[in-house]
Amino acid sequence: MIRYTLRRVVLFLFTLWLLTLFLFSLNYFFPGNPLTNMTGIADSSSEAYRLAAEQRYFGGTIIEQYGGFLQQLVQGNWGQSLVTERPVFEDGLTALGASLELSLLAMLVAFVFGAPLGIYAAIQQRGLLDRVIMGTGLSAYSIPVFWLAQLCILLFAVKLGWAPISSQINPLYDVPTTTGAILIDISISDYEFKQAALRDALHHLWLPVAVLAIMPLTMLMRITRNAMLDVLSHNYIRAARARGLSETRILLRHSIPNSMQPVVRQLGLQFSMLMSNLIVTEVIFNWPGVGSWLVKAIYERDYPVLQAGLLMLATLILFVNVAVELFHAWRYPQVRKELYAEH
Amino acid sequence: MSILDIRNLTIELETSAGVVKVVDKLSLQIAEGEIHTLVGESGSGKSLLAKAILGFINPRWRITADRLWWRHYDLLALNPAQRRLVTGRDMAMIFQNPGSYLDPNSKVGEQLRELIPAGELKGLYLRRKADRQTRAERLLHRVGIKEAKSIMDSYPYELSEGLAQKVSIAMAIAHNPKLLIADEPTTAMEPNTRAQIYRLLAKLSASQSMSILMITQDLTSIIPESQRISLVYCGQLMEAGPTNTVLTKPAHPYTEAMLSMSLFGQTAAPKTRLPTLTGAIPTLQHLPIGCRLGPRCPYARQACVNTPRLSKVKQQEYACHFPIIEVASDD
Repeated sequence: MIRYTLRRVVLFLFTLWLLTLFLFSLNYFFPGNPLTNMTGIADSSSEAYRLAAEQRYFGGTIIEQYGGFLQQLVQGNWGQSLVTERPVFEDGLTALGASLELSLLAMLVAFVFGAPLGIYAAIQQRGLLDRVIMGTGLSAYSIPVFWLAQLCILLFAVKLGWAPISSQINPLYDVPTTTGAILIDISISDYEFKQAALRDALHHLWLPVAVLAIMPLTMLMRITRNAMLDVLSHNYIRAARARGLSETRILLRHSIPNSMQPVVRQLGLQFSMLMSNLIVTEVIFNWPGVGSWLVKAIYERDYPVLQAGLLMLATLILFVNVAVELFHAWRYPQVRKELYAEH
Repeated sequence: MSILDIRNLTIELETSAGVVKVVDKLSLQIAEGEIHTLVGESGSGKSLLAKAILGFINPRWRITADRLWWRHYDLLALNPAQRRLVTGRDMAMIFQNPGSYLDPNSKVGEQLRELIPAGELKGLYLRRKADRQTRAERLLHRVGIKEAKSIMDSYPYELSEGLAQKVSIAMAIAHNPKLLIADEPTTAMEPNTRAQIYRLLAKLSASQSMSILMITQDLTSIIPESQRISLVYCGQLMEAGPTNTVLTKPAHPYTEAMLSMSLFGQTAAPKTRLPTLTGAIPTLQHLPIGCRLGPRCPYARQACVNTPRLSKVKQQEYACHFPIIEVASDD
């Protein structure tokens, strides 16, 4: 397991390194001054510009410049936005907080509802509910998220008024932003109307979470159902019956844990897909996350922000995938044998 | 007194080519503590028979029998839940490829512990847990595994097939069954491991008066301690009787053919044909009428288109119109 972990971590670091190379080279391919693209300092006669050029070894070779770039990146000095002139790293962190809140909640909802529904469908195979679940699952899966989001806003926000149309919280609630994740921000602040603010935040949160969760939910449901059907046909389930174990016990101790194996493996991939949907959803719901931040930066040619957004999303996806793979290999040990013939 | 009494068991399957009698009027009796060997080539319905006894029945199979009694239970009269209660308590089964019958993602110890009947444990939670552990270890000791702790801590994929089979046997005897059905338990195992498993089964049978129904493909893999043997061909019982008698003085042409095919201590001259029956095992859709061995039998005559009745000479039963042994005139 140690060797497997090391391999994964090395792969993770290597991919990150390639990513920094790519981002670094982008600065030279973008139109304009590479240093301005990197730091967001437009005035080339200013003191700040001179300082940045010194820090990033502009004047030296390209290798030295890359070294300076890495150094500043690690130190959290990601420059400032070309448009707002605000520090990119700090803005990015709060945006990441908001995105994480939305995506993790959506993933949780998808898993909590998707897996049990899939298991139920498998047990009731070809029953009425199986058909209903799989049918709605397929149709929900086929709806693109930008359209689904707008439909949901139209129905739940405009017609029914069950949810606000957009944003994280009513601007009347003046909650200080620390992490960007609104629920955590409210909880840790000593804001006067905590309860009311929390309620309002949840009121804002549920619709984007639901929209975002639909796609992974239906996918997980289908994967779980197939995995469960596969497990149920295995010899060891029949043998467990032959040994006289109760049906409930077989389900809880043998079929469900084993059917979760391919599901866990899929979680990482589903998270990657969720991330691309996240960008769309954030833009539509005007959610102050990395996705809408990134899209705005693309519109405005805000290169430092663009790089930061790319780096954050890519790192997040990589990290989640590696974490899921490590968990998978730790929980299901025979996987390690299949991969590297080691224990 | 037989504890398992099967008379004229017929299993019919619905296939695309109509209803096929896969098992045709098969009779089988097993006495308490007896090791009974059931020999049948592939397609003989021997595994179906085991499933029918245990009650793993596909709803599309049609199972009829004059008698299917286990001790004092009429298994065909019980509903599935009751039946499972009875068979789950009294019977156990081990299979070929034992590794695939163990949950790949939980440790051997966990799977063994959950099989210890809860009724036999005493005390409160922690005490029961410890009790479970010691009982599980004792089970492994009983099947001849010495390093029980390390085996319990490993996953099934880490065990060799022989070890996995021993673990399966330990699991099977966890609730002290009265009948153990072993479906080709030593296929694809080394002779040494095979001998170990046989010895283990024989010992368990003797020490706990557990009956064993041993299902094999050919006459070379018979437990030496086997008391009775039944030969099945295409779902029909060919011959049954005490193992020694059947193997030394076969009454049925099929038994004779199987014996000559097994090449016990024989040598064949180079480049001569080995003794086999002509033809091949018929497919389910093309089963012959009458005695199903008919088309392949060297002694077949016109009478063989009618299914022969089971005749009995002393302990030996056979279903053949023209048996090999000299039969007393009462036939």
